[in-house]
Amino acid sequence: MDLNVFFSVSAVLTSIILFSGNKYATKIYVILYGLIHAVFSVLSWTKIGKTELTYFTFDSLAVLFLTILSLVVSAVIYHGFIYVSKDETRKYNIYHASLLILVTCISGAYLSNNLAALWIFAESATLAVAGLIYHDRTKMSLEATWKYIFLSSVGIAIAFIGILFISMTMEGTIYNDLSFSSISAAAYSAKPLYLKIAFLFIFVGFGTKMEIFPMHTVGIDANSVAPSPVGALISAGLVNMGFITLFRIYGALSGSEIFGWMNNILILVGLLSLLMAAGYMLKAKHLKRMLAYSTLENMGLVSIALGVGGKGYYAAVLLLILHSFIKSGLFIQMNLLYRKLGTNKLDECGRYLKIFPPGALVLIIGTICIMAIPPSGLFLTEMMIFQALIEDQKWFVLIVSAFLICCIIYALTIRIMHVVFSPPRVDLNFIEEEKVSPLETVSQIVFFAIVIILCFYQPVFLNDMIRQSVAVLLK
Amino acid sequence: MINYLTVMFAITIVYMAIAERYKVYARLLGIQGLILFGMTLSELNEIEITNLIFISLETLVFKAMVVPYMLNRIIINTKVLKVHNEALSGFYELLLIIISLLISIFMAYTLKSPYIDTVFLTIAFFTLFSGLIIIVTHRLIISHLIGFLVLENSVFIFSMAIGNEMPMLINIGTLLDIFVGVLILGFFGMKLKPNIDELTMLKD
Repeated sequence: MDLNVFFSVSAVLTSIILFSGNKYATKIYVILYGLIHAVFSVLSWTKIGKTELTYFTFDSLAVLFLTILSLVVSAVIYHGFIYVSKDETRKYNIYHASLLILVTCISGAYLSNNLAALWIFAESATLAVAGLIYHDRTKMSLEATWKYIFLSSVGIAIAFIGILFISMTMEGTIYNDLSFSSISAAAYSAKPLYLKIAFLFIFVGFGTKMEIFPMHTVGIDANSVAPSPVGALISAGLVNMGFITLFRIYGALSGSEIFGWMNNILILVGLLSLLMAAGYMLKAKHLKRMLAYSTLENMGLVSIALGVGGKGYYAAVLLLILHSFIKSGLFIQMNLLYRKLGTNKLDECGRYLKIFPPGALVLIIGTICIMAIPPSGLFLTEMMIFQALIEDQKWFVLIVSAFLICCIIYALTIRIMHVVFSPPRVDLNFIEEEKVSPLETVSQIVFFAIVIILCFYQPVFLNDMIRQSVAVLLK
Repeated sequence: MINYLTVMFAITIVYMAIAERYKVYARLLGIQGLILFGMTLSELNEIEITNLIFISLETLVFKAMVVPYMLNRIIINTKVLKVHNEALSGFYELLLIIISLLISIFMAYTLKSPYIDTVFLTIAFFTLFSGLIIIVTHRLIISHLIGFLVLENSVFIFSMAIGNEMPMLINIGTLLDIFVGVLILGFFGMKLKPNIDELTMLKD
């Protein structure tokens, strides 16, 4: 399937859904889109190295994350149907149309080989995700949407200034487009100060998408209020989109004089992200906010991994892959928990194991996975990051990050144990309106199973894809 | 001509720091739109005529007319008139703005390049810092909106600095203006109430 076919079909299906008269038809169109996306992802493996429509290249990194997006989207679509099942048709359609736009924009951003094209997709994704965060039409969702739109827009504007600085470095050279290859070639002879300013602006601007310090607050509020399936998509698809952007710009500038300086910035930002995550997780009173801070923690680790280099590059990409599965599984589980207990507030949650044993089991497994305790695949990635830190003799970073991770594990453990085993501190007397089928936990079990299997065995094709993805940095 | 326009633009920013009423803010943003229109006509003389018309229309219609009109509507609807009710006093804001002007001059001269006009770069940095200062020193949502619009203007000036080489970037910047500006102003500006307490429910 060609890229223009994918974009055209996505646009047509989105338009049909917006004007669809009944929910059943919308459901069929959304399933059709999910299938088309899956086929597109599978076929993209046969196109590695090819460029389509000038601005899109199927490289290893893009194809890898596109495949993960397809898997996550299938679960998001299924759980989304349940989440919005009682909504009126118009609201139901807007939710699904926004979802389709968001997934298409994320896919386009993954494949973009041009910074300006990537920026356009990021901007469009912001608008689409805003519609999804506002879905419940409550005061809280209005506040979260406002904050998301506003901060993302500021981030996008700042990132755009960064792009302008990149283009300033290309003035007077033979390169006059913003493809990453041109940026990379022009960066060799560019003025370092321009590159530093450009990198800082782009890092801060796209940090809103990657949910990393100092723009992490955007994602925290959005994740805590957005419908849980959307939270899953934000934590997997949108966060990965932010990473890919920063990874590509980091890769393009890695041959320039500012390489060492960029690494220091990445490590500093990573440590600050860990610090913020640990601090806020220790006082978190809302489960979804806690998971959002856990995303901040993991993005902090990814940033440190990139900054330290060597094995860290491989670890960063693998960590993101695993994080996508774990976090989307946990966010989907939060919706089941909400339907069973009537809340996601820590004080009002409790005895989950007694109320819904399959969900509690999934929650425990997911928590073990996100804490990077064996048999979680994340254990491997964190070990690789620490190895890289030791090899690079970055003892301070190692000690501080290990300490902060311990704080985060403590915060996560006591909170999840409370939810699973203890009685709630505040009794809501909630009466369950609808039965939650144990079958609804299947998607999360599959995701966590992938994470556990990847701890013991990483298939050759996955290894190759990750190594090809980071090859640009190892030259 | 271009130097006069850039200085006039800087004056509107300084005036924003001491303005007492939101209506003045709206008018100043309109004047900034007109100045940007003038800058577009005098600076972008190497780009295609269709592109020039598109960019000129965006500055003249969107920045100089639509934005001030929508802001006025919001001011009337929300009945928030005074700027410094929930913000830093005008004196301190003026001080911050002047400091940011000095920093902008320093940065622009540090980044001196044969391909980029230093005066342009100075004003672009100054507008960027001013937009951020307005956002962080005010607590009312409408002030945040105005800060964002000033930030958008800085993006426009930055993109004009290299506009003749890469006109595509100005077009993209214009898209940012229209899409996000209309969404933020049109939808949320009308929906959110001026009371700051409304936006403090999401806490840790």
